Amino acid sequence: MALELTEHNEAGLITVTAHGEVDLNSSPQLRDAILDAVQTCSTGVQVNLHHVAYMDSSGVATLVEGLQATTKNKHSFSLLRPSESVLKVLQLARLDSVFTIEGTA
Amino acid sequence: MENNTDITLHLRTDPGLLCSVRALTSRYVGEWLHDDSKTKEIVLAIDEACANAIQHAYNNDPNQTITLRFTAMERTLEIQVEDRGHTAPTEKVQRKTPAPPDPETLTPGGLGVQLIHQVFDEADWCPGTPTGNCVRMRLYKKNQES
Repeated sequence: MALELTEHNEAGLITVTAHGEVDLNSSPQLRDAILDAVQTCSTGVQVNLHHVAYMDSSGVATLVEGLQATTKNKHSFSLLRPSESVLKVLQLARLDSVFTIEGTA
Repeated sequence: MENNTDITLHLRTDPGLLCSVRALTSRYVGEWLHDDSKTKEIVLAIDEACANAIQHAYNNDPNQTITLRFTAMERTLEIQVEDRGHTAPTEKVQRKTPAPPDPETLTPGGLGVQLIHQVFDEADWCPGTPTGNCVRMRLYKKNQES
């Protein structure tokens, strides 16, 4: 399943919405989209992961990179409605407490 | 163990093929385990083992080969992932006690290895001959009443 990404800017808060699977093959796409959003946003970045059917550790690493980049710019970074698969990998990696998670799947 | 192997798969190191490995692993492990949640964890761990071979053993060269061997016995599931690339340093593949995560200093490198340790009951990394790695992962079926 390919990864599809869309972006929405509302008053400086950029929401990157992902549909599909995030793995070694597709995580560079998500990384580019998040880091672009970090550069463009004026208040923060939100990553909507509600329609992500699968995520591996390269996806988690991408989210960590996004979190660190926004923190450096003093902006917010949050995960919106992560799917069950995303929550599972975050919990297995013991990183679920690191992120601000808004909404549930 | 070799004689009992159900599936031997030679996989080209193209990350675009990982979705096919996940589909195969999900079906094979699901039939043996009958536990959707744990099956998803196994799928993740096998994906991580293959991704590690692609990234670290073969430096993302898409034209190398990984061999996967799937063996399901009555109470034991064993999956091996073998490569002929750079042998992983021992300290990189050891199980580590997780430290409390600090967002500022977090370095997610090595996350895949720790996921593998967490998901399987046993996971060993053996150096290949003459080069490479053989990652042997085992899961034991728990008694239903336990």
